[in-house]
Amino acid sequence: MTVEAVAVPGGRGGFGLAWRRLRRNPAAIISAAILIAILLICFPLAPLFVDLACHHGPNDQNIQGYIHQGGHRIPVVGLDGTPVGPGLRSCYMLGADANGRDLAVRILYGGRISLFVGITSALLCVFLALILGLVGGYRGGFVDSVIGRLLDLIWSFPVYLLAVALATTLAVGGLSVGPLHVSSSSLAIPIVVIAVVFVPYVARPIRGQVLALRRMEFVEAAVATGAGPVRIMLRELLPNIASITLVMLTLIVANNILVEAALSFLGVGVPVLTPSWGNIIEQGYSSIVTAPALTVAPGIAIMVTVVALNVLGDALRDALDPHARIRIR
Amino acid sequence: MVGLVIVLFAISVLVFVIFNVIPGGDPALRLAGRHPTQENIRQIRKDWGFDRPLYVQYGDMMERLFIKRDLISYQDQTPVLPTIERGIPRTLALAVGAAVIWLVTGVLIGVLSAIHQGRFLDRILTVLALAGVSIPIFWLGAVLLYLLTFRYHSWAVFSWVPPGGYVPFATSPVDWAEHLILPWIVLAVVSIGFYARVVRASMLEVMNADYVRTARAKGLSARRVLTRHTLRTCLIPVVTLFGLDFGAAVGGTVILIEPIFGIEGVGQYAQESVAHLDLPPLMALTLYGAFFVVIANTIVDVAYVWLDPRTRIE
Amino acid sequence: MVKRALWVLAVALLAAGCGSGSGSSSGGSGGVQNGGTLRAGIPDDPDHLDTGISYAVEGWELLEATNNGLLTFKKASGPAGSEVVPDIATAMPAVTDGGLTYTFHVHPGVRFSPPVNRAVKPSDFQYAIERLFHVGSPGVGFYTIIQGANAYAAHRAAHISGIVANDKAMTIAFHLTHPDGAFLDIMAMPFAFAVPAGMPYKDISTDPQWRVATGPYMVKTYVPKQEIVLVRNPNFTQWSPNSPNGHLNGVNIQIGVTPEQAVNETIDGQLDWYMEAVPADRLSELRARYPSQVHMYPRNNDTYFSMNERLAPFNKLAVRQAVNYAIDRNALVKLFGGQGTPTETVIPPSFGSAYHEPNLYPHDVAKAKQLIQQAGAVGAPVQIWTTNADPAPKAAQYLASVLGSIGLKVTGVRTIDDSVYWDTLLSEKTDPQIAFNHFDQDYPEGEDFIDTLLNGEHIVNVGNNDVSNTDDPALNAMIDRTKRMPLGAARNAMWAKIDNQFMQRDAGWAPFMHLDEPKFVSASLHGLVFTGSYFELMPEMWLAK
Repeated sequence: MTVEAVAVPGGRGGFGLAWRRLRRNPAAIISAAILIAILLICFPLAPLFVDLACHHGPNDQNIQGYIHQGGHRIPVVGLDGTPVGPGLRSCYMLGADANGRDLAVRILYGGRISLFVGITSALLCVFLALILGLVGGYRGGFVDSVIGRLLDLIWSFPVYLLAVALATTLAVGGLSVGPLHVSSSSLAIPIVVIAVVFVPYVARPIRGQVLALRRMEFVEAAVATGAGPVRIMLRELLPNIASITLVMLTLIVANNILVEAALSFLGVGVPVLTPSWGNIIEQGYSSIVTAPALTVAPGIAIMVTVVALNVLGDALRDALDPHARIRIR
Repeated sequence: MVGLVIVLFAISVLVFVIFNVIPGGDPALRLAGRHPTQENIRQIRKDWGFDRPLYVQYGDMMERLFIKRDLISYQDQTPVLPTIERGIPRTLALAVGAAVIWLVTGVLIGVLSAIHQGRFLDRILTVLALAGVSIPIFWLGAVLLYLLTFRYHSWAVFSWVPPGGYVPFATSPVDWAEHLILPWIVLAVVSIGFYARVVRASMLEVMNADYVRTARAKGLSARRVLTRHTLRTCLIPVVTLFGLDFGAAVGGTVILIEPIFGIEGVGQYAQESVAHLDLPPLMALTLYGAFFVVIANTIVDVAYVWLDPRTRIE
Repeated sequence: MVKRALWVLAVALLAAGCGSGSGSSSGGSGGVQNGGTLRAGIPDDPDHLDTGISYAVEGWELLEATNNGLLTFKKASGPAGSEVVPDIATAMPAVTDGGLTYTFHVHPGVRFSPPVNRAVKPSDFQYAIERLFHVGSPGVGFYTIIQGANAYAAHRAAHISGIVANDKAMTIAFHLTHPDGAFLDIMAMPFAFAVPAGMPYKDISTDPQWRVATGPYMVKTYVPKQEIVLVRNPNFTQWSPNSPNGHLNGVNIQIGVTPEQAVNETIDGQLDWYMEAVPADRLSELRARYPSQVHMYPRNNDTYFSMNERLAPFNKLAVRQAVNYAIDRNALVKLFGGQGTPTETVIPPSFGSAYHEPNLYPHDVAKAKQLIQQAGAVGAPVQIWTTNADPAPKAAQYLASVLGSIGLKVTGVRTIDDSVYWDTLLSEKTDPQIAFNHFDQDYPEGEDFIDTLLNGEHIVNVGNNDVSNTDDPALNAMIDRTKRMPLGAARNAMWAKIDNQFMQRDAGWAPFMHLDEPKFVSASLHGLVFTGSYFELMPEMWLAK
């Protein structure tokens, strides 16, 4: 899915209008509320839950432990390796996994990581795309050509093959760039990989918008007054691509959460000692028959979050430009 | 044409470099087995050319891939190209079947949404469409497979669903379809949303356009206006989007879906090759995949220019 | 040794209540029945159908039914299956020169299948072993003990001087560089099976001109990724009780059947036998519903965490012992679905008297913590490596929490794809601090485990099997001495002693389990005999009508 823009200098009053339109859109309000709720649950409320309700964290294993339910002592993990399933209790509310860890707690903490990876990689991606889109679109000519080729190259690479190849390479020994050293178990690796792989996707519409804006009078005026390219890019162009950037940002966060899940499923996502929604699915998948909650529950968490983000992004697009001049293609 | 070759060359070099940089996964050791003697390892290095300079190995691999066509995988020493050739019809069957479903359904939902814009149906369809796009595709496949072939398999409506695998069309068209219906649906579900939104937005734009209003004002029925005037223009972005999506699907999403359903097309071969760090099939698959994506992009660019004359003024 | 394709496609088809698969498998009117074609499944191609190159259980299982060597492992279950008995040799060889010379008489009545058709000659055995050096066989290392083998490998001789084949007298003699009782075992491995002299120096798995058999069955067709068909070998007449006639008419093996699919098809009555284990998530259900069709076979396996004695903190004995105290072996067996027996030994139980549990490390987390503190290793960073084959990652994560609880600092669990993992472990450059590991026999004798894995004299930079880098001169000397002894009780007792001493004084490993192989077969399949070398023997199987 690409977002292409027809030149519309939004002007600075646009955001106020947009906010008002957004407020009147029930879908937007509901999805924003859901997102805020998710953030609250995963961040401040999770440790509270652990402290008050069940006293074990996301990585506390309990293979030989027992829980008490209805007067019976049930093993957390049976002799044949089957973990206890969901039930109405404070501990192991959604059941346990094969290592005896509490699934509900893992989903809460996993949400932190998935959201963190999604948001950070999206910010990085958009940041890089802005630079490349602005520079390429404004300068045109050879520079634009080179940037275009580079982006084409990245984009022609089948997405998951590229991501897995990069992630595997980096994960093997970590990454050392000058003084900067990233260990192979760091979150930076999936974040950087996901960001880089989707830069072409974000940069293309931004570049298109910049190209269209560049020919407009206010830019020519700025050039005539002797403003340097950097100043023009930052002062004249940037504010006018703010709306498209914002829409892309929301959509890319949603996309990246899904990509993190896919990469974890392929084994090259978030390192395994830190739970994320994606790697909880990956670890639970092999026992989907005996313990389906391990696969189903984190997937639902992903779905709810991403739907909310997509609905919000869609509503944002509607609010910023109700005449559909920014076309989602 | 030249651009395509350059892109493919760049990709092949990139893949080659990446996989030679990864420490561990020394193919000589893998070929030598569990009790290798040093002599054994040295011999394998020599036979397979691992002791030669990288650019020589690269050239040799390209030659075996394109000219001699006898490239062999490190993992099980089977020829790569026949396996790819066997997998292509399976992947195409999957992608094309799903594409038909997502196009038809997507257009339908988009049109309905546009007609009832702002009303309840539109809102519901919007959320549904966006929900489809928001599901991790591999998760949907895994969960549906579990539900329909295990948990609720005894229900009559699901008892025909096979637990994965692929049956060639020539062997049994009915079995072929039965094995593909669930993968088709899963692949379609995550793509319908985009089309629905695109068609909706496109239709709205056109419906509000002056020439359409004029036609309505003149008294032409809504239906006529719809089919004659608006639908055709709406389909332009659909075509371009489809081209890109199909390329992306065949190049990308099949790698997630095929292993779940055991379809053994090129997507599954790709997933296995990456997991096994098996460079020869990976090189072949990446180049085929990239070729496909670039061709799809080019066709889309050409088709778009042809369909929408406005872009020619640039 | 075993490379296995563990691909878990987590779906199952529960037979709709009606009919099919009604548990009882003791059917048939009493005795063994001849005839029938076995319908079998395998998830992937067997590694090779070439006796000189195949080195995985699936290949050996098929080759056992089609080919023969001078010797074989007794076709019986349990510890009896570790015994070496004559096959194409008329009797056990005469051992002379203080264990340096082995002389065999070759049975005159054994013929190759079509299209070769002629009788097997002693020179065929010489050709088979010499061919190993030309095809880059993974088994080459076993045969360098024969005099002249190294010179032959370096292309400095026309033949291996230590092999003397006399086709007229139907004898073949082997001269060794030093005595080694396990020579009898390596002569029973498929690498030493007879092949027609002149067989090309390349993989003949898909070449019917050369892919010939001496046993009761032969491979009629092999289409990679699709199927393997075994039929009776028309040139086979039984020459020895150690090489049975076989009851089945043939075997049809479909390639690409996933473990879950196999379970479903067996329940439906469409599949008789599958070459891989029952997926863990189906095991309890199958044991409950079809108890007589589920079999738990003891593999000759050891599953353990190996620690690198050259890298801190595992360079300290106290730390290695602490790991042994800290793990709860019963918990680990749970992670493997209960399919194994907890253990502290290197050698598996089916090696008879070579197996002895020392009971040195009862589960004691407090003691482990104390040892870590005493060794000054609190807070030492540790990275755990594991293969991605389920459930190894779960075991590795369990280890991570255990090491964290005794005071070490786990920086991560590195999961590597199974197809690459084992090579990575064998390389000193990429040697991990502590790693998930398992070893399955090459041949059923203590030397295979102890000498391969624990003898410091075999440490190399690339292809190193002594993953813990254990190098204790006293231990090395004991191992070398024991190797020279003839097979038997005395030798076995020495292996047990070395095993226990290794765990007590070196503790380079934290062994936790000997794995079982759970199998689920159809109700009509009987005659299942499982050996650690060849798994279920096809010539023993029979189908009830």
